[in-house]
Amino acid sequence: MIAYLAKRIGRSLITLFFIITLVFILLRQMPIEGYFENFDKLTDEQIQVGLEQMGLTDPMPVQLANFYKHLLHGDLGESRRYRANVAVTEILAKKVPISIKLGSLSILVSLLCGLPMGILMAKNKGNFFDKLGTLFIVFIQAVPAMVYYLFIQLYGTTIIDVPLLFDASKPLCWVLPVFSMSLGNTAYYGMWLRRYMVDESTKDYVKLARAKGVSEGKLMKNHIFRNAFVPMIQYLPTSFLNTVVGSIYIESLYSVPGMGGLLVDVIKKHDNNMVQAVVLLFATVGVIGLLLGDIMMTVIDPRISLSKKGGGR
Amino acid sequence: MAALRHKLSSKFERHVSDQIETMPDEELFSFHTYNADEGEKTAYSNYSYWRSTLNSFKKNKTAVILVCLVVGILLFTFIQPLLPNQYDPNLVNNDPSTGIQYRNIPPYILTLVGNTDYPEIKETFWFGTNSIGQDLWARIWTGTRNSLLIGIAVASIEALIGIIAGVLWGYVRKLDWFFTEVYNILDNVPQTIILVLISYMLKPGIKTLIFAMCITGWIQMARFIRNQVLMIRDREYNLASRCVGTPTRRVIAKNLLPYLVSVIMLRMALSVPAAIGNEVFITYIGLGLPTNIPSLGQLINDGRQLMMSASLRYQLIFPTVVISIVTISFYIIGNAFSDAADPKNHI
Amino acid sequence: MNKKEIILSAKDVEVKFDLRGQILTAIRDVSLDIYHGETLAIVGESGSGKSVFTKTFNGLLDKNGTISKGELIYNGEDLAKYKKDRQWLKIRGHEIAMIMQEPMTSLNPLKSIGDQIVEAIRIRDRKISYSKAKNEAIGYLSDVGIRNPEDRFKQYPHEFSGGMRQRVVIAIAIACKPKILICDEPTTALDVTIQAQILTVLKEMKEKYSLTIVFITHDLGVVANVADRIAVMYAGDIIEIGTTDEIFFDPRHPYTWALLSSMPQLGIKGNDLFTIQGNPPNLFTEIKGDAFAPRNPHALKIDFLKRPPYFEVSETHKAKTWLLDPRAPRVDKPKGIMALQDLTAN
Repeated sequence: MIAYLAKRIGRSLITLFFIITLVFILLRQMPIEGYFENFDKLTDEQIQVGLEQMGLTDPMPVQLANFYKHLLHGDLGESRRYRANVAVTEILAKKVPISIKLGSLSILVSLLCGLPMGILMAKNKGNFFDKLGTLFIVFIQAVPAMVYYLFIQLYGTTIIDVPLLFDASKPLCWVLPVFSMSLGNTAYYGMWLRRYMVDESTKDYVKLARAKGVSEGKLMKNHIFRNAFVPMIQYLPTSFLNTVVGSIYIESLYSVPGMGGLLVDVIKKHDNNMVQAVVLLFATVGVIGLLLGDIMMTVIDPRISLSKKGGGR
Repeated sequence: MAALRHKLSSKFERHVSDQIETMPDEELFSFHTYNADEGEKTAYSNYSYWRSTLNSFKKNKTAVILVCLVVGILLFTFIQPLLPNQYDPNLVNNDPSTGIQYRNIPPYILTLVGNTDYPEIKETFWFGTNSIGQDLWARIWTGTRNSLLIGIAVASIEALIGIIAGVLWGYVRKLDWFFTEVYNILDNVPQTIILVLISYMLKPGIKTLIFAMCITGWIQMARFIRNQVLMIRDREYNLASRCVGTPTRRVIAKNLLPYLVSVIMLRMALSVPAAIGNEVFITYIGLGLPTNIPSLGQLINDGRQLMMSASLRYQLIFPTVVISIVTISFYIIGNAFSDAADPKNHI
Repeated sequence: MNKKEIILSAKDVEVKFDLRGQILTAIRDVSLDIYHGETLAIVGESGSGKSVFTKTFNGLLDKNGTISKGELIYNGEDLAKYKKDRQWLKIRGHEIAMIMQEPMTSLNPLKSIGDQIVEAIRIRDRKISYSKAKNEAIGYLSDVGIRNPEDRFKQYPHEFSGGMRQRVVIAIAIACKPKILICDEPTTALDVTIQAQILTVLKEMKEKYSLTIVFITHDLGVVANVADRIAVMYAGDIIEIGTTDEIFFDPRHPYTWALLSSMPQLGIKGNDLFTIQGNPPNLFTEIKGDAFAPRNPHALKIDFLKRPPYFEVSETHKAKTWLLDPRAPRVDKPKGIMALQDLTAN
C-alpha cells in the first residue's frame, strides 16, 4: 500500500518535472517581445540589455536550472506586459483563491445534481426520465460549451437581476457562473453513474442478493449505487480538468478575477512569463487531480489495495 | 398482420389434425426416415455481422435522418459558392450609391416569415450582414465547411496515428515501456492546456489548429487499439478459435474487427464535435484562425460581442444553431453506430 | 421418505420472453411436484430452460420474461399470480433460497463476506443485533467448512478461492433459513476435486437444516451422487422424470438415452464419445410434436405431428414419448446404456 502510494506520487512528480521542463523550453522559443512592456519603443541595445538582465541569453540548461532554483523558492519571475514588473506569484496569489472557490462550488453543485440524476435515470431505464436525462447529456456533451454559456449569460442576467460587473461579495453574482460551470460535470456524473448502475444491476451478485430477499430499494442503495459509485471516483480528476477549462470561459465571460480569466488576458497580451505560470499551474491541477483520484480509489476499493496496479487508468 | 398469422397457424393446425385423423395408426407409428440435417436446422445460422449492424442502424430512424442531414450540410457547404447570386464570404459589401458599408443589415429570411422591415436596398442578404458589411450567409456556410473539415481531419488523423501507434504498442513488446510512459504523461496533462500552449506558440492557421488538437488526441485511440491487440492473444474465445485452428487472419476479421470498428467509429464520430468545440474555445481565447478564414468559432465569437443588443442577436443565433445541429448529429450518429455495431444488440 | 408431502407443485407452467418484439417460449407446459425433503435434479443441456424454470419459483425471471400460463402452488398460494416485489420478498431467501453457478461473481466484491451473510440474517430477523448476527454468521461459515471463520468474516471476496467463495454463497443461502434450496449448477465452474467437496457440503447442509434441494445441472455424473429423483428437460419441457435408479437403469425417452450415452464415464477407451447430433430447436417458433424428433434416429411419423403426453412407466416414472404408446413399434435401448447396468452391477 505504502509502496504503491510512493510509486504513484513519484510518477506524478516525474510527470510534473517533464511537463515543466517541456513548457519552459517551448516557451523560450517564443518571440522576445513577450518579455517587454513596451517592446516597439525600445532600441535594439535596450532589448539586448534587458534580455541579459533577465538571463534569457544564457544557454538553455542554465536557464532551466535557474528556473528550477527560483521555483523552489516560490519565485515564478515577473510579469512584463500584463502588469509590468509585478511578481507573478503576487498576481496569482490574488487570483487563485477565487478560482478554487468557484471550482469547488461548481463541482459540489454537479455532484448534488448529477448523482441524483444518474440514479433517477438508472431506476427508470428506458422510461421518460431516462430519455429526458439522455437528451440533456447529449446536448451538454455535444454542443460546444461556449454556446450554452452564452445563452445562459444572455437570458440569465435578465431573469435574475445581476450587475454586469462581478462582485465576489454578492452571492447573487455567483449563481450564473457556478451554474454554468457545473453543467458539464453534471452531465458527466449523471451519464457515468447511470451507465455503471445499469451495468452493476445485471451482475451476478445483485441476482444473488435479490435471491436472498433484499428489497429493490435496499438493493439499489446498498449494492448497486455503492458499487457503481466506486469507479466514479476515477472521474473526479477529469472533472477537475473540466472545471479548469470551464473556468477559462466562465471567468472571462463574467469577468471573475480568477485564474481562467487571467489566462485569456495574458495570452491576448502575449506575456510569456504569465502564460508559463498559468499553464504550469493548470497542469499541476491536472496532475494532482489524477493523483487524488488514484489514491482515493485505493482507499475505497478493497480489491486494489493489495494487488499491483499498472500505469494509467 | 397478427390476424393473418393466426389464420395461417390455425390453418396449419387443421392440416395437422387432418393428417392425424386420416393417417392410419400403423403409419403414424412407423419410423420417420431420419435425416441428420434436419436436426441442424436453427434460426441462428445465417448471421452476418455487417448486415445485422446495418440493419439495426437502419432501425434507428433518428440516426439515419441525421446522417442524411450531416451529409446534406457538408455537400451544401461545397455547393453554396457555386449557386447564383452568392457573395464572397470576405467581401465587404458597400452601398453602391453612398459607398458606405452595409453594416448589420437584418436577415432577409426574416421578411419571409412576416418581419417586414427589411431596408430598401437592392441586395438580398439571406442571413443579413455583420458589423463590417460581410454577407453572413456566405460566411456561415464557408465557416461550417472549414469547421467540419477541421473536425473530420482531426478525427481521421487521430484515428490513423492512433491505430498505427496502438498496433506497434501492442505487438512490439520493446516499445511497450516507451508508449506507456508517453501515455502516462499525456494523460496527466489537461488536453486544453496543451492546445492553448501550442496555439500560443505557432502561427494561427488551420494547420496549427489541427496539429494542436491531434497531438494529444491520438494517445487514447492508441491505448484502445493496444488493449485490443493484447486481447488477440489473451481472450478466451480467441484462444478457443486458435485451438480449433482458425487462422489469425480470420480471428481478427471475425472476432476482433467487429468490436474494433464499432469503437473506432464511435471515437471518430465523437472527435468531430470535440474538435469543433475546441476551435470555438481557441478562437475565444484569441488564438484562432485569421479573419479571412471564417469558422463557426469565429462567427460565434463575433456574434457574442453583439449579443446584448436584441436586434443584432441574429449574428449569434445563426452560427450557434448550425453548430448545435452539426455537433449533436455527429454525437448521436456515433453512438447509434456503436450501438448497432455491438453484436450484443443483434438478435 | 415413504409418505411424500408435496412442498411445491407446478402445473402447466409456460414462460415466455419478449426479445425485442420476438416471443420466445422458454418453458412449455411443465408440470412438476417437488416433495418435502428430497433432492430433485433437473438435467438438460444449456438452453433447455432448467434455470428459467426454477427462477419462476422465486420470481427472478428477467424483466422481459413472464409466466404466461399455469400455477405454482407453494404453501397454498399460487406464486404464478405474484406480481409485486413485496409479495416475492416473503418467498425469497426465507422460503426459497438460491445458489448460482458463478462463485467468482456472485458475491459483492466491495462488501466483506461477513457483512453479506449478516445482511441475509437481518432480512429474516430485523431486530437482531449486529454482534449476535455476526456470531450466527460465523457459525454458518464453519458449517460450510471454512476454517478460521472469525478472521475470514472480515475478508473480502477477492481473498477467497472459487471453491471457498461457493462455500460462502452456500453459507449465505443457509443464513436465510430456507425450506427449498435451488442450486443452479453450483459446481460447474469448479475443479473436479472441489466439486466433490461442494457436493458434500450441500449434503451435510441438507441433513442439518432439513432442506429440500432442487439441483440443476447438465452433468449426469454429478446427479448420480446427490439426487433422489431426476427430471430430464429438453426444449423447455420435462420429457422424463423418475427416481435416479429409474432414469439411469430404465430410461424410456430417446433423449434420455442419448444423454446417458454421451456421459464420458460410459465412453470406451479408444472409441469416439457418443454425441447427440444436431441442435436444440429454435424456441422462437412454435414446436410441433415431439421437440426432440428431428434429432431422434428412432423418431416416428407421429412425433412430428402430435406432442406426446406423459406415459406412466411406474408410479414414480413417466416419460413423454410416443414409443411408450402400445401402438408403437418396439425399439431397443442403445447398447451403451445397457452397459451402464453392467458397469454398476460389477
